[in-house]
Amino acid sequence: MRLSVLLGAQAGFFVLLAIVWESISRLELVDPRLLPSFLTVLGVLGDLLTQRDFLMDLGITGLEVGVAFIIAAPLGVSIGFLLGEKLFLGQILSPMFHFMLSVPQSIFLPIFMLLLGIGFLEKVVFGVTHAIFVIIVTTTAAVRSVPRDYVTVARTFGATPRQIYLRVYLPAMLPVVMTGLRLGMIFNIIGVLLAEMDASRAGIGRRLFSWGEGFQLDLLLAGILLVSALTIIINEVMRYCEHRAARGHVA
Amino acid sequence: MSSEVIRVENLSKMYSTREGDFHALDKLSFAIEEGGFVSIVGPSGCGKSTLLQLLTGLLEPTSGQVLIDGIEVRKPLPEKTGVMFQDATLLPWLTAEENVAFPLSLCGKDKKESQLRARDLLKLVGLGDFINHRPAELSGGMRQRVAIARGLVRDPRILLMDEPFAALDEQTRFKMGEELLWIWQETRKTILFITHGLTEAIYLSDTVLVMGTKPGRIIEVIPVDLPRPRTFEMIGSEFFGKARNRIWTLIQEETEA
Repeated sequence: MRLSVLLGAQAGFFVLLAIVWESISRLELVDPRLLPSFLTVLGVLGDLLTQRDFLMDLGITGLEVGVAFIIAAPLGVSIGFLLGEKLFLGQILSPMFHFMLSVPQSIFLPIFMLLLGIGFLEKVVFGVTHAIFVIIVTTTAAVRSVPRDYVTVARTFGATPRQIYLRVYLPAMLPVVMTGLRLGMIFNIIGVLLAEMDASRAGIGRRLFSWGEGFQLDLLLAGILLVSALTIIINEVMRYCEHRAARGHVA
Repeated sequence: MSSEVIRVENLSKMYSTREGDFHALDKLSFAIEEGGFVSIVGPSGCGKSTLLQLLTGLLEPTSGQVLIDGIEVRKPLPEKTGVMFQDATLLPWLTAEENVAFPLSLCGKDKKESQLRARDLLKLVGLGDFINHRPAELSGGMRQRVAIARGLVRDPRILLMDEPFAALDEQTRFKMGEELLWIWQETRKTILFITHGLTEAIYLSDTVLVMGTKPGRIIEVIPVDLPRPRTFEMIGSEFFGKARNRIWTLIQEETEA
């Protein structure tokens, strides 16, 4: 009952925002060429979703994001695990990865373009470098957060090193690793879109950029709405998995 | 012929530190007979926990040896010894039943069988209605009961307990002691019980070993000649008081020395 009231209120807020947006545009409080009405933008979005080459652009971006994640996730988790588990290695390399996390990756984009040219590979690599550091750093933290007691208890009950990794470390780390993967995915999408907007022949980022340059605000806003909705969905799905993995873990 | 299930012979453990060698344990010797209930008390830092780690095979002695059922302990022997710690150390992502069955799953026992065994043990410790609860949903006392059940699941002859009730409130602690005695009577295990609580040690045990510190060693063996079953009234008896005072004096002397 209370949940439904809350959800209703939240939905109401969004409807209100849409109405305000619609009214501002309709009443020409802002020039409708700069702020097309909400319903106009929705109509444009509907059209876009029927256009083959737009869907191709969307697909390319999706593929770049997907491939980047498939590379970054296992690589980042493995490196992070090694750094957390091998104390010496971790002490040497952890600070470097930690520092890399604070450096804005965008400053390296020109170098990637020089090295890899402009295209699919460059976008994927840029996505990977965006995602991987946060995955590494959170996985390292996850390994170190596994209580020694769990390992001790497993050992007294005769667990082999392999069983300790699979039956103790892995489940104990899982919630934190999942958080790292989710953050990695957000960073990954930022990276790919940034690379596309900067210089690209395809992809949704390029579309957004050229619509902006061409003052096509109805298209631009439609694109923004779509990308926002898609990223929110990806994030929420991953958060749901994270939540499932954290079942029973004391926060 | 009496059968010794635990035999500790000249057990020493030394740690090398920057200030030189540190003698955690110095030539400890004692034996526990099958079905016995022996407590170890001593001042903080006397090496009780080191002793337990040596008994469980988590640590290797510098010299001397631990024999369990006549076999020298070099690594954990889960089929012979069940272990319990001060913290219940249950795995939070597993249910009570899965936690109890965990040691069985490590040695590849049939899943269905393990489940049944875990359930039986949870019933034994009074948690038959909580098999699907996770540790976070259980009270401190309940978690320790799950830990007892887990310690018993491989049907070891020996239970090694490292201050298992120290983190519980006084009332729960007393109740858990009663239940432990009942389980001990039912299952005829041999129990080695490390504790800070003098009353608890005397109340539960046949024998109390008092440890001294720097280096850790056994300074006195106190037999508890009280009939079983033990009752609450015995705590007020003259014998109980004398034993308690004796241990208290010994520990005081150790900490002042």
